[in-house]
Amino acid sequence: MTPMRAMVIDDSRAMRMILKRIVTKLNFEAVEAGDGKEAMDLLADMTEVPELALIDWNMPNMNGLEFVTKVRADPRLREMTLVMVTTESEQSQIVRALAAGAHEYVIKPFTEGAMIEKLALLGLVPTGANS
Amino acid sequence: MTLSQADFTFVANLVRREASIVLAAGKEYLVEARLIPVARAVGAANVNEFLADLQRRPNPQFQRKIIDALTTNETSFFRDREPFTALTEVVLPELIKSRAAQRKLRFWSAASSSGQEAFSLAITLQETLPAGWSYEIMGTDISTAMVERATKAEYSQVEVNRGLAATQLVQYFERAGAHWRVIPALRRNVTFKHMSLTAPFPPMQPFDVIFLRNVLIYFDVATKRQVLQNAARILRPDGLLFLGAAETTIGIDDNYERVAAGRTSAYRTRNAVPSGAARRG
Amino acid sequence: MSVEVEVNESDLAEMVEQVWESYLDPEGVSPLIPTYDENQPSEVHSSVSITGSWSGHVVYASSMAAAQRAAAAFLAMEMDEVSEEDISDTLGELANIVGGNVKAMLPSGAQLSLPQVVLAPESSARYPNAQRISGVYGIWEGEPVSISMWHSSSDNKEEEGE
Repeated sequence: MTPMRAMVIDDSRAMRMILKRIVTKLNFEAVEAGDGKEAMDLLADMTEVPELALIDWNMPNMNGLEFVTKVRADPRLREMTLVMVTTESEQSQIVRALAAGAHEYVIKPFTEGAMIEKLALLGLVPTGANS
Repeated sequence: MTLSQADFTFVANLVRREASIVLAAGKEYLVEARLIPVARAVGAANVNEFLADLQRRPNPQFQRKIIDALTTNETSFFRDREPFTALTEVVLPELIKSRAAQRKLRFWSAASSSGQEAFSLAITLQETLPAGWSYEIMGTDISTAMVERATKAEYSQVEVNRGLAATQLVQYFERAGAHWRVIPALRRNVTFKHMSLTAPFPPMQPFDVIFLRNVLIYFDVATKRQVLQNAARILRPDGLLFLGAAETTIGIDDNYERVAAGRTSAYRTRNAVPSGAARRG
Repeated sequence: MSVEVEVNESDLAEMVEQVWESYLDPEGVSPLIPTYDENQPSEVHSSVSITGSWSGHVVYASSMAAAQRAAAAFLAMEMDEVSEEDISDTLGELANIVGGNVKAMLPSGAQLSLPQVVLAPESSARYPNAQRISGVYGIWEGEPVSISMWHSSSDNKEEEGE
């Protein structure tokens, strides 16, 4: 069985390392991108679409909201589960991201347990999987 | 720095006496970790000094703080998920039929800690009950600090990240400064009270569903039995008791029987008589 | 129209506590212990700037040892594996997370800059026309760490004029 793949899209290398560690622990294969543009370019070259993307909001070149909008407009990327991972925590911003097509929303700072619970909520981790 | 045997025994005796909670040997590390913030908050240099002082000069307020620190359960919204799924898919559809005349449900979240379980029940009921129904949820906890916190119904970012779907966060909470507060439409159905599970229960109206999860594990068998017997008296004859995944009534109180509830199980009192006419001798 | 600061000291303290709970002290055994000493020394600092509905900076400052420990905790590394780049990225992200949360509490229209990291004491930093308005000052594992908020008084007139 091929492992599931997760894209980790954040302009902070430190945050990418944290997210990569968590998804790797959950047996995902991680692919990193530093912004939405880089992520779109990577996706264009992939034959198989990753199951999951963890997406920062504020990034240079293409921000997370633009990325979500673009992915949602592309039928080839329909199956991707999109999770915003950001410090943007105004209620209106969360609503905007969900309306644009994000499936879930994790506010930074987040604990590892919280991230795993969110992914379990999306059916991407067996329930009860932890640490 | 580790807790001395004498200090650990002092703390273990205190929480056993005041909260009927048994701290097994080997929990020294946990006790110390939980007491570090307490010691700092009262200005002691470290946990050892804090406990040494307290043994020399008993201080009820500090003892209370120790009990609060050691009895606060780790909690999150929709913890363990299965019991809430069971409510939505199995338990509530049945109750909606059997309570069609009253159109009102009463739930108890026992050992409600900071209130996440009670509000998860409120969200579940809000999303499942047909129009025209009402519900009451009572949360109780041994910690007065926790009762106050739960009543405020404010949660940090870290807390709302755990267990809630993003759609539920935006629908049932509103920003309050650095926090998120449960919206009034839910809050008005939920009340929190101070109550010790190991003391005789105060008079209470019967409940349709009782959540008594992950608290019996702290009690010895005699105390477990006493709590279960008291709970049986305020559980409606066809009502359900939910325990933690690692807890059971079996071998403790045979007045309960285990019943399937979705993919998990719950407990019902035996010889349940329909329509609220419980006979108990 | 002037905009009041909507982030008080206890809000800042709570955000800092959550960063510790999430990344720096997940076991809850080594909290940041308050010293209330706003003049405590530092060897490194990082900051993000906020402009728009409110103007100012959010600044992290600490000793080098604390910064190294923070990077090790953040990136799940051993202390001796931590590189200068790891420290720099971690401090930048710490300022970014606290700054982002501060921004979220301000009236809409505020913008967050990219983080800046300087491996030099906070006292060497220059924030023109800015004044420290609140801060969390503490000792973490025996080392000084602070997170403070600075308000710029006069360099944002243009943005406010819209």
